[in-house]
Amino acid sequence: MAISDIPGLSALRTSMQWHQQRQRLLAENVSNADTPNYQARDLVRPTGAALVAGTKPGLTLARTNAGHITLAGGDNTNFALERKSSSETRPTGNAVSLDDEMLKVAQNQMDYQAATSLYTRSLGLLKTAMGKR
Amino acid sequence: MDFLKSMGIAASGLRAQAGRMRVISENIANADSTASAVGGDPYRRKIPTFTSEVDRALDARVLKMGRVSQDQSNFKSKYDPSHPAADANGNVKFPNVNSLVEMTDLKEAQRSYEANLNIVTATRRMIQRTLDILRA
Repeated sequence: MAISDIPGLSALRTSMQWHQQRQRLLAENVSNADTPNYQARDLVRPTGAALVAGTKPGLTLARTNAGHITLAGGDNTNFALERKSSSETRPTGNAVSLDDEMLKVAQNQMDYQAATSLYTRSLGLLKTAMGKR
Repeated sequence: MDFLKSMGIAASGLRAQAGRMRVISENIANADSTASAVGGDPYRRKIPTFTSEVDRALDARVLKMGRVSQDQSNFKSKYDPSHPAADANGNVKFPNVNSLVEMTDLKEAQRSYEANLNIVTATRRMIQRTLDILRA
C-alpha cells in the first residue's frame, strides 16, 4: 500500500498538483498581459470524488506479473480548463486583468500553503501512529 | 515540474518587458535628435511589438518580443532658422516622439515587469513550502 492510497493524503496530493498547474497557467496569463488577442485562462477546481481519485496518470508502468509494483502516479495529470469571458477586453483584443491575476496568484499560493501544511500534519499523524517518541 | 515551468514563463515575460523598456528609453533619449544636415530626417520613433509563441520545452505560450517597427507618423516641425538642419523656410524637422506617451508606456512596462517578478516570488515561496514537507 502506497502512501497515496490513503484517501486524505491522495486528495491533498491531487490538490497540490492542481495548484502547481494553476500557478503555471497564471504565470502564462501574467507574462502575456500585453500580448494582443490573448485570453486569460484558468483551471476548474476538482471537487469531491475527483479530488480523492485523482486524475489518471499519463504514463503507467507495464505490469506483466501480479507481483509487480504499480506506478503510484504520473506527473502529467490533466485538469479541466476553464475559459471564462473576462470582464474587460482592451482595444488590442487582450483580455487579461493584471489585478485579477495577481489576486489569483496570492490565493493560489495561500491555498497551496494550506495543503502542504495539512499534508505535513497528516504525515505527523502517521508517525505518531507508528510510535514516534 | 510545473513550478520550474512557471518560473520559465515569468522569466520570458521579464525578458520581453526589459526589451520593451530598452526601446522606450531609446525613444526618450532621442526625443531631440535632429538631422545634422539640410534635408535629412530626424530620429524616427520605434515601437516594440509583442507576440506570444509556444515554447515546446515549457509546453506553454511564452512572451516573445517581436520586430521593432517604426512609427510612420509625421515629424514635428519647429521654426529655427539658425539650426544647421533648417530648410529654406527656416523650419526644422524634430522626431515624432511624444515624451508623455513614452512615459506612460514606460510605466505600463514597469507594472508588467513587477507583476512577472511577483510570480517568481510567489512560485519560489511555493517551492519552499514543498521542501518543508521533507523537513517535517
